[in-house]
Amino acid sequence: MPTDHASTSPGPQRAATDSDGPEPDGPDSDGPEPTGADVFTATVHELTQRAPAIVAAAAAELGAISLALHFGDGTAGALSAHRSRLIAAAHSPASADVEVYFDARAMNLIFDLASRPIDEVLPGSLDVRGPRDQVLAVWRAMRLLSQRAAGLRAVQELWRSYRDASPHLWGKPPGATNNVIDGTAADGWAAPRDTGWRALDFFDHRQPTGDRPLVGGTVASAPRSLWDGTRATGWWLPEPVADADLVDVMTACRDRVRREMNRLIPDRQPKSSLYELIRAYPTRQGKGLRPTLTLAACAAFGGRPDDAVRVAAALELFHNGFLIHDDIADESTHRRGRPTLHTEHGVGLAVNAGDGINLLAVDAVLSNLETLGLARTLGLIHEVLHMCRETVEGQAIELEWIRRATVPRSDQAYYRMSTKKTGWYTCISPCRLGAVCAGESGPALDVFNEAFRWIGIAFQIQDDVLNLIGEEALYGKEPLGDLLEGKRTVMLIHLMRTADDRDRARLAELLARPRQGRAQEDAAEILAAMQHYGSIDYAIDLADRLARRGTQRFERDLRAVPENEGKALLRQIANYVTTRPL
Amino acid sequence: MLPNLGPVGPFPDAPLGDHLERRWLHYAFRSPSGDVSVIANLSTLGSSGPAAVGQSMSILLVHDREAGWHSSQFNASVTPRAWSSFGASKSPSRMRISSPTHGPSVDLRLTRTGRPCTSQCAPFGLDQHLRWQSEPGIRATGVTAASGGDERPVRLVGYHERVRGRWGWPDLGGWVFGFVNDTPAPSGPPAYSVVFTLITPRDNADAATGSVMLWRSGRLVRHFPRRRIDVAVSGSLSRDDVHVLPPLAATLGTAPTAEVPARLVIVAQTGDDRLCIDVDARTAGRIVNSSELGLAPFSVHEVLGPAVVTGHVGGRQLGFTAGAVVEFAGGAHAD
Repeated sequence: MPTDHASTSPGPQRAATDSDGPEPDGPDSDGPEPTGADVFTATVHELTQRAPAIVAAAAAELGAISLALHFGDGTAGALSAHRSRLIAAAHSPASADVEVYFDARAMNLIFDLASRPIDEVLPGSLDVRGPRDQVLAVWRAMRLLSQRAAGLRAVQELWRSYRDASPHLWGKPPGATNNVIDGTAADGWAAPRDTGWRALDFFDHRQPTGDRPLVGGTVASAPRSLWDGTRATGWWLPEPVADADLVDVMTACRDRVRREMNRLIPDRQPKSSLYELIRAYPTRQGKGLRPTLTLAACAAFGGRPDDAVRVAAALELFHNGFLIHDDIADESTHRRGRPTLHTEHGVGLAVNAGDGINLLAVDAVLSNLETLGLARTLGLIHEVLHMCRETVEGQAIELEWIRRATVPRSDQAYYRMSTKKTGWYTCISPCRLGAVCAGESGPALDVFNEAFRWIGIAFQIQDDVLNLIGEEALYGKEPLGDLLEGKRTVMLIHLMRTADDRDRARLAELLARPRQGRAQEDAAEILAAMQHYGSIDYAIDLADRLARRGTQRFERDLRAVPENEGKALLRQIANYVTTRPL
Repeated sequence: MLPNLGPVGPFPDAPLGDHLERRWLHYAFRSPSGDVSVIANLSTLGSSGPAAVGQSMSILLVHDREAGWHSSQFNASVTPRAWSSFGASKSPSRMRISSPTHGPSVDLRLTRTGRPCTSQCAPFGLDQHLRWQSEPGIRATGVTAASGGDERPVRLVGYHERVRGRWGWPDLGGWVFGFVNDTPAPSGPPAYSVVFTLITPRDNADAATGSVMLWRSGRLVRHFPRRRIDVAVSGSLSRDDVHVLPPLAATLGTAPTAEVPARLVIVAQTGDDRLCIDVDARTAGRIVNSSELGLAPFSVHEVLGPAVVTGHVGGRQLGFTAGAVVEFAGGAHAD
């Protein structure tokens, strides 16, 4: 079962999808006037969290090219790609392959929110200086960042506030001198929110519908033009798939599923020793990766996301039940900054609460009979049983390693254990369950297996890395929970494989100690050895390679699934692993 | 080469030459409260051959807020004959449309209150075209009855048009059409009426034909040409609010069609004149028309919902909210 940030130390614990590093300085109406470099850096930061697929695609276009960015307000920035990540900085780089100048005209053409994003960054609209092949690569990357990112509400807000604060950088919008707004001639600058004599702009600014309409809490439908005076699109043609805002959608999915979980937990006796414990546990939920996968997979296969909410809630209940038992098995004292259930209420009540949650989860799966019918419900039961079997098998493998104080020699052994212990129920099964809710069965469900197997392993390796180095960077603490527990991670496997005989013997002695006999100093010694032998860098690199393998399998195996917003969301999640800051 | 636009004259009293030549009369009315809506289309399709006899089809839709959509098949009967304001001096003012069996019926006294626009024409394909002439502000007083229901006295205001042309549904592509009449005084024309049309042929995305027209007190006061209008949609009407019509279509395994937009915004501007129409779709009746040139049917969605019209035309501000009828039609090549 996944550790899911269990630890042996109190204090703030990072969530699975937390971003790393301090917040960049974004445009803030209460602070100093934002600079172009600030807003560009903030845009990349937002995109990394909200639209990883765009970032990964832009990083692939950039490759090894480094950019120096010059803005109309005199500030400078830097942009480069590292693996699938974009590294943006609000200062001038020491050297750069390509220079990009954002003058007022470029701002209007690329990020002008008074009109819709143009389809192409037209030749001449962006001043890029450098070798020809690199300039073209920069063009393609900038087109991705500007056009597709401009569709995200969070990015729009960033640039709108920047434009409002610095209108002199933008030049006059087309036709601004003749623009009449509510009987008043708007000579000069026209902020985008004050225009509205374009139909799409009307939707966006004059009469916004409020939040974008959510279909079942997963997918958003953006306004689209049928005729702009020059080009027509049939109203009946499929809408272009919009890039989902991963943060917003995951929050919506998590909250929707949490409501369903609360509905499923009965309000009856015994409360204090059972149901209150069960009801309190979901409040420790993460950011909603599993619910989002389930609902998005359902939408990707043409189902109604609402049909998948109940099984997504069941999955979360199973997860909670497993975590309670997992904490007991691993002797964890804290989870997400709070005492584990058995620490707070004793092992007996905790085991019982875990059993109770699992029973509620079974009940929740069965309750799909009324809404999805017998065939799909049987399919769900089959999938859930398979998921549970894989999970307990994976847990057994790892506990056996720890009990026998052995560390596998090969990464493949870790892949197998990780896939069973966490891969199935964190990534693969949520997708398969969502597809079952949409009416799929049999081999069609296997399209998720390989892609999300690699993505799941990469995700777990990254979690393990963050457990070692992330919290230290963020909180200045060294809980090193995994090392205290003796968790068999890729770093540990690599360390035992590469350490010399003397170090390996010392490490084996440390690992052979019982959990209570391992002190913080011992864990620090293991960490130091990992750093010495490059095990952490190896794990980061391995996770990146596995994540890219997963995204490639995603594109290949899900090619037959039509491009829709459910699939777009799955793609964002798949790419999240590749762009996750480490 | 210029397209062949058919016989000389906008709406010639000439036989329909072949199986793609068509003409129709269209009627759409709503009660000021929006409780009752009536839509009817009386069409004739040409035929080839020495003994060619055109094929006539008529369909009547009645929407009642309580009882929902009711429709005849394509066999509604019209007595004593079809009324049209385009031949007002000769036409009777009373028209009864009814289903042969158990369908809806209307018995209405029709009156024009204004003047029509000049005819407009959309050429597309190699030799196809659709020509139409619109007149809003038509009053209809009488009774309506849903399927098997009691007759209900109504006072409606609406729209009438005549169409003639030569086209096949796949080449035509689709259209967005609609009208809004400001709530009228007890007699006389509505203070304002708006009619909009956007015809988007399958090929040539830049060859759309469209217009937005504004009537004031029964007179056409502004015509915004196609380059000066801007059309956008948002969201989707729930499929539970889209009703497949006529009744026979539901029994024939009719393929699903595209989702109907939930909101339509049309903006028109010429010089200092500006007009904005914002329609919020509430319910739709999908009329499934068979296509003479393919298996996929051509669907006309008759959409009902409130509309907000605002603008600044001829130095006057205008603004009103009223019920709209909008058609989202298309899908013959892509259902």
